[in-house]
Amino acid sequence: MSSSLLKAFALRLWTSLLVLVGVSILIFCIARVIPGDPARIALGPDASEDQVIQLRERLHLNEPLPVQYLEFVRNFAAGDLGMSLYTRRPVTTDIGSFLPATLELVFLAGLLVAAIGIPVGVLAARYRDRGIDHVVRLLALLGVVTPSFVWAILLMLIFAFFAELLPVAGRLSEGVAPPPTIVGMYTIDALIAGQWTTFLDAARHMVLPGLALALSGIGQIARMTRASVAETYAAPYIEMAQAYGFPERRIASRYALRPAMIPTLTILGLDFANMLGAAFLVEQVFAWPGLARYGVQAILHKDLNAIVGVVLIVSAFFLIVNILVDMAIAWLNPRIRLEPRRAM
Amino acid sequence: MIESPLLQIRDLTLSFASSHGPVEVLHGISLHVRRGEKVALVGESGSGKSVTARIVTGLLQSQRGTQANGYVRYEDQDLLKIGERAFRALRGIRLSMVFQDPTSALNPVFTIGDQFREVLRRASPDISIPEARRRAADALSHVLIHEPDRVLDSYPFQLSGGMNQRVLIAMALANRPALLVADEPGTALDVTVQDRTLKLMTSLIEQAGAAVLFISHNLGVVREFADRVYVIYRGRIVEHARTADLFANPRHPYTRALLSAVPKITGEPLPPLPEDNAAFSAPPVIHDGCAEPPVRGDIPQ
Amino acid sequence: MSKLSRSPGWYKFRRNPLSVPSLVLVVLIIALAVFAPVVAPYPEHAGAVVDFINASLPPSWAHPFGTDVAGRDILSRIIFGYRISLVLGVVVLGIAVPIGVTLGLVAGYFGGWVDYVVMRITDIFLSVPPLVLAMAIMGLLEPTLLNGMMAVSAMWWPWYTRLAYNLARSESREGYVLAAEVIGASKAHILAREILPNCVPAVFTKITLDLGFVILIASSLSFLGLGVQPPTPDLGSMVAEGAQYLPDTWWMAVFPALAILVGVLGFNLLGDGLRDILDQRQ
Repeated sequence: MSSSLLKAFALRLWTSLLVLVGVSILIFCIARVIPGDPARIALGPDASEDQVIQLRERLHLNEPLPVQYLEFVRNFAAGDLGMSLYTRRPVTTDIGSFLPATLELVFLAGLLVAAIGIPVGVLAARYRDRGIDHVVRLLALLGVVTPSFVWAILLMLIFAFFAELLPVAGRLSEGVAPPPTIVGMYTIDALIAGQWTTFLDAARHMVLPGLALALSGIGQIARMTRASVAETYAAPYIEMAQAYGFPERRIASRYALRPAMIPTLTILGLDFANMLGAAFLVEQVFAWPGLARYGVQAILHKDLNAIVGVVLIVSAFFLIVNILVDMAIAWLNPRIRLEPRRAM
Repeated sequence: MIESPLLQIRDLTLSFASSHGPVEVLHGISLHVRRGEKVALVGESGSGKSVTARIVTGLLQSQRGTQANGYVRYEDQDLLKIGERAFRALRGIRLSMVFQDPTSALNPVFTIGDQFREVLRRASPDISIPEARRRAADALSHVLIHEPDRVLDSYPFQLSGGMNQRVLIAMALANRPALLVADEPGTALDVTVQDRTLKLMTSLIEQAGAAVLFISHNLGVVREFADRVYVIYRGRIVEHARTADLFANPRHPYTRALLSAVPKITGEPLPPLPEDNAAFSAPPVIHDGCAEPPVRGDIPQ
Repeated sequence: MSKLSRSPGWYKFRRNPLSVPSLVLVVLIIALAVFAPVVAPYPEHAGAVVDFINASLPPSWAHPFGTDVAGRDILSRIIFGYRISLVLGVVVLGIAVPIGVTLGLVAGYFGGWVDYVVMRITDIFLSVPPLVLAMAIMGLLEPTLLNGMMAVSAMWWPWYTRLAYNLARSESREGYVLAAEVIGASKAHILAREILPNCVPAVFTKITLDLGFVILIASSLSFLGLGVQPPTPDLGSMVAEGAQYLPDTWWMAVFPALAILVGVLGFNLLGDGLRDILDQRQ
């Protein structure tokens, strides 16, 4: 990697860290400042006054906000995000056990978005204004405007009730044991352990939730790719390539594609954020035991520590993906990495 | 016996499909270019000069809704009848094009070296990377670029317009084409740079023995570099003469209006001429010695 | 009307075959929302009514979209659901847009530490995926419509800040701004009178698109139970309720879902059409 890219990467890493700290302050403040007594809410309406006071002491809820925050940071540095008031386990343990499931799903969805969205967009641009273009644009539009929970329910309807082809709940069928944990992702772990049937079963369970998650993103990427490729093809340098007789295939796969990917990559980052949010809905519908579902439970039960933990992890993940996307754009677009960047 | 022209166009008509029905943009033009000649096609924007250039490179025929009829022969082939494959054998190798804005004609995300190699691959598909680089550096030094290696590793946005124009010329001549089609060469450049660049281009073309068809609205450039000039107005050739003759003795009313409207010294683009002057529709004027050569009988029309 | 139909903007708008239908659709939805009590066949069903005799009826002439488990007419509830969604959208944007745009313009034009601070804060808010932030906030508050508005506004404003920021930065380099500065116009005046009007087209397009997306986000929130509570009709929670009874009484989930789709689609297409007129390609 060239030094300019490395420098840019280091800078982004640093600013992202600062931003993450900012997020932690933000969510922390929101969590503490909201009306209502977190301790009372956690213990429920039947708790006695003493219990509430005790819990407040334990959670340091009576101290000034900055002190509470420092306490939080100190614990965080030690790897402690507090106890979940609902599951009664350390939040870090909960996150550790549920995160891989969500990551597995989100990676699959991301893969689907890129692997389907981009080629479909290129196809639509190539056959512009003809039949296939209209079909693609229509489907993409539907993908964009339909909420993921609607897709989730729709897929569930089709595959569970009308044609029982794919499973609609959980990660594994009953009676199938999970593979030995290495990464926590059943598909990968099963492959590593050589458990082919387990892998197949896990993979089948991933199809519907993954699709439900990906459909909106596929629509967005397809639309963006189509517009971007069409615009690139109108550029003078493509006309020149054609005038020089560059093979059409080479133009499509390399010469025109590379500049066209820049706007698409930008959208990909945004898409990812939407997918992370949509995961909360999809995991609920498909009873997928991931972090997002844990997050929803935490929210419904007003489990403060868990909410803070989940938000932090999700944001951190999003920031990492953003950095990767920005690096990819910088690699594609020499103008960004070679012209002096304004300190952001 | 005078040999057949390299490029011969006779009674070419071109129409585009539109929501109001087919629109004819070329109403039967004829022109020819002999080996080593420099022929200019002059007109205002919208006169049809650019589409003519694009017919020669074959970029228009394949587009939906275009209908081209007539006789367009390049070397031995009828450009209106041959398919894509035959065109591919021509483009970039026997026939090349120089574009108006040099920086936008180059792909912004690839280095000059990468793009040059693609051009060289047209004539030598198996050319190795080091060999391509050597030949590219050689070509760049011919266009008076002094640090060819640095330029090859640069991206278009890092180089000046004049430098990019020279790169384009080098690319156009790299495979030794017999004909160069130049669409408003240098128009996007600063006037002083333009002049130097065009002089360089002309000397290189002469050295390479290539012919040029150049499309321009810049009469100053035309006067200096062309051997013969065709004046095109609204899809019709209205006057055709040797350069000296045209400027000394313009006979068609449109040509006269054109010449008097342009400030010849600075060579600026043409200001819009009064539209519907009936005199402009006068029949075409062909000066002595400029008749179109006969069409070869052995090529089916 | 004839003067409008001859203007170049209208012509560009009409060129896209989907623009005019989307305008019609959006007007229709707004009309439904505004006149809900009058238009809905069973306006009282938007409230806490139970009619078990007529529960779970399939679509019929009396109830074109069927009834739900409590016997309430789904069509009426959808119409009121649109009302809630649009009210939410208007309020959310009414809060988020002024705040976001003002911050963005100020940061973009004044630069310096103001720029730095504002954009860092914006970055922080934007680092949390939008739905997640709204959910977290809603989770910590009581699930009421008002709180929902607050939560969604809180996650929405940074997008306008970023838009306005980019616009302000590029506009501040334009000739008319430099001219005004030379004359000695106050910075506030330049912002309000010179730069802001040039940002209006882009912001307006975004607002139109966002009205659709607010429907999407709001229905997602209420699907999880984080939005308005029953018996208030809300498209998302109607889908959630109806989903439990699939596939037998499919109409309870399908029609609200379609309603969401149609609403988002309408605003989305309209926004696209507006973009065609305003031709904003930066």
